[in-house]
Amino acid sequence: MIRKIIFFAGFLIFMASLCPADVWKAPDQEKAKERAKEEVPFVKEYKDEFLINRKVNLMEKGISIKDVKDIYFLLDNPIVKKREDHYEPVRFAHKRHAALTKDCSVCHHFRPKDENALETTRCSACHQDSFNPDHPERIGLKAAYHKQCMECHQEQGKGPTDCKGCHLENVPNHKELVKLPDKADPFQVTAECLRCHDVQATDMLTTAHWLWKGPSPYTTGHRKDIMHGKGTTALNNF
Amino acid sequence: MKLTRRTFFKFMGVAGVSATGLAPAAHAWESKAPPDPYGCLVDLTRCVGCRKCEEACSTVNKLPAPERPNCQCTIFEKKRRPDDKAFTVVNRYFTGRLDEFDKPLPTFAKVQCMHCQDPACVSACIVGALSKDETGAVHYDVNKCIGCRYCMVACPFEIPAYEYRDPITPRVRKCTFCYDRIKKDGGLPGCVTICPTEALTFGRRETVLTLAHKRLKENPGKYIQQVYGEKEVGGTSWLYISSVPFDQVNLPVLPETPSPKLSETLQHSLFSYLWSPIALFGVLGVFMAKSNKAKDNHPQHKGGA
Amino acid sequence: MKHKASPLNKKFWTPGVLVMLVFMAAGTVSIVARFTGGIGYVTNLSNARPWGLWVGVDVATGVALAAGGFTTAALAHIFGRHYYEPITRPALLTAVLGYTFVVLGLLVDIGRSWAIWKPIFYWNTNSVLFEVAMCVMVYLNVLYLEFFPIIAEQFKGKVRLPGLLSPLNSLVEGILKIGDAILGKTMWIFIILGVVLSCMHQSSLGSLMLVAPTKLHPLWYTPILPLLFLTSAFAVGYPMVVFETTLATTSFKLDDEMNILSPLTKITIFLLGIYMFLKLGDMFYRGTYVYLLDGTHQTNSFIIELLFGVMIPWVMLLFEKVRKSRRGIFTAAALIVGGVVLNRINVFIVGYKPPLAENTYFPAPGEILVTLGLIATLMFIYRFAVTFLPVLQESKEVSL
Repeated sequence: MIRKIIFFAGFLIFMASLCPADVWKAPDQEKAKERAKEEVPFVKEYKDEFLINRKVNLMEKGISIKDVKDIYFLLDNPIVKKREDHYEPVRFAHKRHAALTKDCSVCHHFRPKDENALETTRCSACHQDSFNPDHPERIGLKAAYHKQCMECHQEQGKGPTDCKGCHLENVPNHKELVKLPDKADPFQVTAECLRCHDVQATDMLTTAHWLWKGPSPYTTGHRKDIMHGKGTTALNNF
Repeated sequence: MKLTRRTFFKFMGVAGVSATGLAPAAHAWESKAPPDPYGCLVDLTRCVGCRKCEEACSTVNKLPAPERPNCQCTIFEKKRRPDDKAFTVVNRYFTGRLDEFDKPLPTFAKVQCMHCQDPACVSACIVGALSKDETGAVHYDVNKCIGCRYCMVACPFEIPAYEYRDPITPRVRKCTFCYDRIKKDGGLPGCVTICPTEALTFGRRETVLTLAHKRLKENPGKYIQQVYGEKEVGGTSWLYISSVPFDQVNLPVLPETPSPKLSETLQHSLFSYLWSPIALFGVLGVFMAKSNKAKDNHPQHKGGA
Repeated sequence: MKHKASPLNKKFWTPGVLVMLVFMAAGTVSIVARFTGGIGYVTNLSNARPWGLWVGVDVATGVALAAGGFTTAALAHIFGRHYYEPITRPALLTAVLGYTFVVLGLLVDIGRSWAIWKPIFYWNTNSVLFEVAMCVMVYLNVLYLEFFPIIAEQFKGKVRLPGLLSPLNSLVEGILKIGDAILGKTMWIFIILGVVLSCMHQSSLGSLMLVAPTKLHPLWYTPILPLLFLTSAFAVGYPMVVFETTLATTSFKLDDEMNILSPLTKITIFLLGIYMFLKLGDMFYRGTYVYLLDGTHQTNSFIIELLFGVMIPWVMLLFEKVRKSRRGIFTAAALIVGGVVLNRINVFIVGYKPPLAENTYFPAPGEILVTLGLIATLMFIYRFAVTFLPVLQESKEVSL
C-alpha cells in the first residue's frame, strides 16, 4: 500500500514536471517559501546522547506525530543555495515521513544542549554553512539533507536515492518539441523520441531491458543473471 | 693534443682545489612541502555518485561539459580516467558489499590530481613548469613546458594527461586544485562547492586529517582504519577514507617514501657544485698527461679525437 | 703502427643506399603526419604510457650505442693506448651521428618541439632529465668540435665552393685554418670533457626511472640503475665499434682490422664482466630472482636480455678461439649490442608497468616508421661521411 502511495506521488511529481510550472501551485506554497527563508540562531553545542536514549527521551516527553504542524516543508534555505543554485527546492513531506517512521529520533537525532530549547529543532539550527572551522565534524545543511534522506532511503530500500527522485529537473515543454502526425504509429513515435534521445537509446541497447539477457544490476530484486531472452532465443523480438 | 706540463699542472691545481673545496657532504633529503597547505578529504562512504563534481569542475575550469552529465547509470559501465578534457571523474566499483536485500552496494570514487606533498612530477619537470605553491596546489605553467611528458612518467597516480591531438602547442592537463579560488579567503575548489553530501571536505590539511582520524575512530566498523594519502608517497593534499580497501577502488598501493627522494638524493650528492665531474676531469687529466709524456717521441696525433 | 685515415672514394649510390632512401621517405611522411595531426595521430601513446618507442629506442638506445665514441677516445687518447687510434675516427663519427639523431628523435617526440631551447633558461636542478639534457647538449657540441679537424683535414687548402658561393671560399678557408689551429691546442680539454659528460649522462639516463618506483618492474628498478646504465655503456662501447667496423669493412671490402678489434674484445671481457657482476649481484641482493619464472613477457624479456645479451657473449669472449675469429667476435659483439638495446627498451618500454592502466602498448606503424627513417638517415649520412671524409683506415682492398 505504502509503496503504491509513494509510487503514485512520484508519478504525480513526474507528471507535474512535464507540465509548465505555472499550471498548478500548492495553496500554501508561498507560506512554505517564507518559512524556508527564516534564519535560525546557530546552536553551538548539542546534547551528546546515544540514539536509543534519544528515542526513549522523546517518547517519555510524549512527542509524536500529533505534534507535527506542517504537512510539508520547502527545503529552500538560503544556506543551501549560497554557493550554487541549480535546482528547484525539494518539497519534503514532513507529516508523511513522520507517519511512516513513527520515530522522530530518526531525523531529530540530537537536541541542543540548552535545556530550554525546543526538543525537535530544525535541521538548519545545527547544520548551517559547510566547513565551519570551529565545528569541523558538523556537516553543512545541504549535505545534512542529502545524507539524512538518501542514507535512510537506502537502508529502508524505499524512497528515491538518485537526483531526479527528489529534485525537479528543468524539463523543456515537450508539447512544443515533439512533432508527430495525428494517429502516429508506434514506429513514428519511437523515431520521434530517438530524434533527440540518441544517447539514451544506445545506452538502453546495452542493458538487460533490451537484451533480456545478462545481469540487471539496476533492477531491484531481479539481480540474477538471465541467460536466455531476446539475445538468444529471439522469440520476443519486437 | 699539445698539453704542456706547466699548463696542465696549473689546470690540475684549479680542478683539485675546486673538487676538494666544493665537494659537499651529501645533505639529507628534506621535504619541500609548504608549511600549512590546504587539503581535501574524500569520504567514499558519503559519495553517492551524482557526478556533480565533474560538472562543477568543467564549468570552473572552462572545460567541455562532462560526458553525459546527468547519467548516473550506464556511464559507470566503463572505468574512466581523468584526461585532457576532464580533470576529475567518478567511477563506480562493486566490491562485493550487499545491502539488506542482497543488492550489491556500489562504492563511488572520485579521482583527480592528489597534489602530493613532494610531487614526483615537480621533481621530474625538466624546466620547472610544474611547481608546488604555498596553498599546496601543484601548479602547471604552460609557458615553460616543452612537452617531454616526464611528469606523466613520474606520477605514481597516473594523473597528468596530454593533449596528444594538438600538433604544435599541446599542454599537460590536470586538476589545478582551483588554486586561484582557494587563494581567496574562504574559497573552495569547484567540486567541493557543489558536492551535495559533503563527501568532500576542504580545509587546512592538518584540520581535515584530524577530522579523518576522528571519523575512523568514531566509526571503527564502518571504515578501513587508514587515511589514504596521509603517508602514501610522503603524503598528499587529497586524502581518502573508505569502507572498502583502497586498491579495490583503483587507488594504487604505494610506498611511504616520497617518489623524488631517491633520485634527488642521488643527483645532489653526485652533482652539487659539479664536484664529481670536476674531480673526474682532474683524474682523467692526470692519466692523459702521463700517457702523453710517455709517448713524447711518438708522432703527434692531430685532432680527430 | 702507422695509420692514415682517408676517404673511401667508392661508388656512393648502391642498392643499399636506395633502400635507405625509401625508409627515409616513409619516415618523412610519418613526421609530417605527427606535425599536422599531433603525436596522438601517429603513435599509440596514451596518458598512462607517455613514453614509447621514440624515447626508448631513438633516445635511450641511441645514447647507449654512441658510447663507442667516448670509450675509444678514453682508451686511445687518455690512457695512451695509441695502438687503437685507427678506430677512434669511425667511433667518433658514430657518436656524432648518434647524438644528432637523439636530438632529432627528441624534436619529434616532445610536444612543443619549438620550445626545446627552454631548459637552457629555465633550470630545475632536481630534475634528472634536466641534467641529461644539459649534458647531451654540451656533449653534442663537444662531439662536433672533435669532428671538426676531420673536416678541416679534408678541405683545408682546397675549398672550392660552387658558383654563387665562391666569394666565400677564402672565409671558409680561414675558419677551417683558425679552427683547426685552436682545436689542435685545446683538443685535450674536449676529449676529457667528452668522457666526463658521457659518464654523467649515460648514468643519469638510468636515474630517469628512479622517480617512478611503482611503475618500473622490480627486475629493473634498482637504486643502482644509474650504475648499471654507466657500466653497460662502458661495456657496449667496444662491441659497438667491433660491430660497426666489421660491418663497414665487410661492406666496403676493406682490411678487417682484426689486429685491433681482437684485443678490444679482451678489454670487453673485463668491462662486460663488471656489468654482469653488478646486474646479477643486484638481482640476488634484492631477491628479484623470484620473478624469473613467472612467465610474464616482462620476465621473459629480462631473461633474454641477461642470457643472450650479457652472459652468453661474455662466456664466448673468454675463448681465445672466438676472439681470434672474425665471425666469433662479430657474433659476440652483436649479442652484447643487442643486449644493451634490449635493456634500454626493457627499462623504458617493456618494464614500464603503470599499475592503473588497462591498455598495453605496442608501437604504432607511424612510430616505427619514424624510428626506421631516422636510423636509415643515420646510416645514409655515415656512408656519405666515410665516402667523402677521412674516417676509415686507408688500406689495400682485400678480395672477399
